[in-house]
Amino acid sequence: MIEKKHLEELGKGSLLAFGEIFNGKLHPSAIEVLTPLKELGLKLDKKVVLVCLIDNLKSFQDLEVLKKSIADEVWMVCHQELVHFKDDLYAEVLIEIVKKTSPYGLFFPATSLGCALAPRIAGKLNLGLCAHVNHLEVEDGKIVMARPTYGENIIAKLISKTTPVMATLSIGAFSPSYGEREPKFFEVAMPEEFTWASKIKVRNFKPSAKQPNRLSTAKVVVAGGRGLKSKENFKKLFELAQLLKAEVGATRPVCYEGWVEEDRMIGVSGVTVRPKVYIGFGISGALQHTVGMENSEFIVAVNTDKEAPLVKMAHLALIGDASKVLDLLIKKLKK
Amino acid sequence: MIDYGLNDTQKLLVDLIKRIGEEYIKPYALEWDEKEVYNERPIKALAQADFFGIIVPKEYGGLGLGSLEMCLAVEHLSYYCAGVSTTYAASFLGAYPIIFFGNQEQKAHYLPRIAKGESLCAFALTEPQAGSDAFGIKTTAKKEGDYYVLNGVKQWITNGGIADIYVVIALTDPSKGARGASAFIVEKGDPGFTVGKKEKKLGLRTSVTTELFFNDCVIPKSRLLAKEGMGFIVALKTLDYARCGAGAQAVGIAQAAMEISLKHASSRIQFGQPVYQFQAVSHTFADMAMKIEASRSLLYSVARFIDRGAKDFSGASSMVKCFATDVAMWVTERAIQMMGGLGYMRDYPVQKYFRDAKCLQIYEGTNEIQRNVIARELLKHYK
Amino acid sequence: MEKIILCIKGVPKPGTVKVDPVTHTLKRDSLELILNPPDRQAVEMAVRLKENYGLKVTVITMGPPNVIPLLKEVYGIGADEMVLLSDRAFAGADTLATSYVLAEAIKKMSPYSLVLMGLKSIDGETSQVPPETAALLGLPSITNVKTVLKERNNWVVLRQTEYGEEELEVEPPFVASVLPEAFDYLRPPSLKRLLEVKEKDPLVFTAKDLGLSSEKLGLNGSPTQVVDVFEKKFEAKGQVLEGEPSFLVEKLISVLEQKGLIHR
Repeated sequence: MIEKKHLEELGKGSLLAFGEIFNGKLHPSAIEVLTPLKELGLKLDKKVVLVCLIDNLKSFQDLEVLKKSIADEVWMVCHQELVHFKDDLYAEVLIEIVKKTSPYGLFFPATSLGCALAPRIAGKLNLGLCAHVNHLEVEDGKIVMARPTYGENIIAKLISKTTPVMATLSIGAFSPSYGEREPKFFEVAMPEEFTWASKIKVRNFKPSAKQPNRLSTAKVVVAGGRGLKSKENFKKLFELAQLLKAEVGATRPVCYEGWVEEDRMIGVSGVTVRPKVYIGFGISGALQHTVGMENSEFIVAVNTDKEAPLVKMAHLALIGDASKVLDLLIKKLKK
Repeated sequence: MIDYGLNDTQKLLVDLIKRIGEEYIKPYALEWDEKEVYNERPIKALAQADFFGIIVPKEYGGLGLGSLEMCLAVEHLSYYCAGVSTTYAASFLGAYPIIFFGNQEQKAHYLPRIAKGESLCAFALTEPQAGSDAFGIKTTAKKEGDYYVLNGVKQWITNGGIADIYVVIALTDPSKGARGASAFIVEKGDPGFTVGKKEKKLGLRTSVTTELFFNDCVIPKSRLLAKEGMGFIVALKTLDYARCGAGAQAVGIAQAAMEISLKHASSRIQFGQPVYQFQAVSHTFADMAMKIEASRSLLYSVARFIDRGAKDFSGASSMVKCFATDVAMWVTERAIQMMGGLGYMRDYPVQKYFRDAKCLQIYEGTNEIQRNVIARELLKHYK
Repeated sequence: MEKIILCIKGVPKPGTVKVDPVTHTLKRDSLELILNPPDRQAVEMAVRLKENYGLKVTVITMGPPNVIPLLKEVYGIGADEMVLLSDRAFAGADTLATSYVLAEAIKKMSPYSLVLMGLKSIDGETSQVPPETAALLGLPSITNVKTVLKERNNWVVLRQTEYGEEELEVEPPFVASVLPEAFDYLRPPSLKRLLEVKEKDPLVFTAKDLGLSSEKLGLNGSPTQVVDVFEKKFEAKGQVLEGEPSFLVEKLISVLEQKGLIHR
């Protein structure tokens, strides 16, 4: 039912995006990254193609989602050896596709898999690669990428001198959008001589016991930073989150302190959130963090420092001890 | 304010201990105090950083350094948490007797693991009825063939239960009084040796203090340190060496208390100006600084005196212990006052420094006993 | 003896980075370098492997001579050999140009069994260098590594991703980037080793020593280019309230009610 095409027959010069599939399920980021790429595609007159690697089309559970996507085409590479993610093999497949279809751009969601694959390809093909980009635009016919950098309140705009332009895109930084027209699906026939070998063997897989958090799509986010002073205080956020049906977010320093798992990190190398209400407890608001939450509809900051950036960007700023406010808030809400 | 002329090794040691304090202690010290729990992470870090080997001779895997280095480590550790430094310093109390009085086999057996920090040590002298009057101990050790059998109770023993090696003073010949005491090495797990409940304390709450029970505790005779009858010689020499450690704790606590209250006083605005601008406040800080530097100067001088091979330094080390710990008590009390209401709140560490400092005037010989020692030495010296 | 190559990076201490408002470049003079915190996980892993399997650890870094104290720090923690890759020509390298230098230097260290790096640096936060270096060396790369074990001649790696934990068997040599939460306890340097390393110097390699092609080095050899850098500033735009916690909480609750999050 899906038309099979040899690599040589596929369109050249497109904007390719990696459509991450794990155990037959499409990662939501695959849909998100199409939004900015479609805009680039229209401006540059390039097709947007989602490239998916999977062991078997039958095991793919999200075909319907892809049908509604705004990609112009979806290329599926199917092979038994792709049943497990193997960095070297997955990279080789994509390298082969890049070599044969000379894309204009190659983009990855900044997931752990995307961040493992993109640099292997860039290294092998000697290409520039920008990381955790959260804004894309076209200037003088060139793709210009922006990202916060140096871990401080500094934003850098970057270009790549090599083609395809490569970048990993921040998760949650772009909203998903859907189209009217179903993309064209092609199954990619890899060349006969392609070797499906890998130096990595997957012996066992234990799925994550805990549900992945829904931080990036949460309607309410309660986040905490160093101003909460201790891991113990930070943990109270989970109590508050339950009362408000919210998700818990964190700043980078507290993740590094080990107060909470890194998948709760909001910001550059973490998740981008855009909830209806964001409450930041003891967060001063380094750019690292604020780029990940600045599009929240209503921002509340609780902090002792009146001059803190988050206090300035907040719709409501409460100047006071974050842990005391948190304690009292939980107490009152429980009543 | 004063350059004490530390050498490169000492500076490196201080830098490293500060790093350990910042990373493994500072963020947790208040929590450990509040919950009154012992935490082994800082102890593990100190062990891996070789700090338990400071005073152990090089041939047994230690660093072979002296009293000054021990004091520097204890001082800077106490700046972050005197509870942790108590666990650390009390381990030296158990190590000194083996270093000074152990025979070849005992040293070769125990010192390498002490140096690596694999085994914590404890020193057990005090008993319910024998505190300042240490000669009143009742624990006995009876020789039976190749073994000694210990019976009795030891009280307020720092590191009880978490230590693997205990140096215990017991009477081998009760009829001889003080001359009938001997020192033994008892190991965790020895038959008949058990540890009592953990004491609840005012301060130093992350350090562990327990009773030790000896009920027909059987140990091989090879565990005797020095000779029978030398128990109090072992104990007194150990305490002479360790006393500077209590002084070093005092200097570290006082320094921390001064710094935090100074920071507050210079930023707290009342009546339109930082409270530090009021003379009553600034002069208090001037007094704090003078007293702390005086303690530190005395501490380093005496530690260097010991390291130069001094034979008789009981009076000198008593002066350090007594003076520095009295200063720490005064400074920590004033530090609370300088912070007003905040100083009294358990969210801030000054009240912890105050509670921790109190113990220093009591343990390792009360300051009253220290004054007795100094007074006694004075007469010897100026007769 | 089997060898581990441990790559580390010196990064500006957080809070010391400032941008010159006129030239848009980093003010380097105010920078204080620290060992990239995620690299400490890689250091811990290397030292544990050394303890468990008797491997030798060679620590490598690229940078100006002011990173030498960081090499010595890692020696203090347990590395056996220090290598500094230093050349003015390396300045301004992006991840590809950095990986090129690292890969060429690592080739010189053969034979080795594995290359360990931190998952990412806290300044660049790209997490690209480990896989890029592996690709240039033609070696397999595994990211987000939690544990590395040796089973006879096999290396077994546990990798943690959002999906779960994979147990992988990999042919050496390979490159692994270590998960920032791999170990919840990281050992400090040993005083003995720090005293010992005071008198030691790292081996230093320049571009010439490594026989590198100059067009692949530094800023000019970097395919990505920064075209603009700017600092983001915020102006107060909302309501700022001060007062007792009870007053603040009351206000917050009424806002949460307005937003329909709670009902009284």
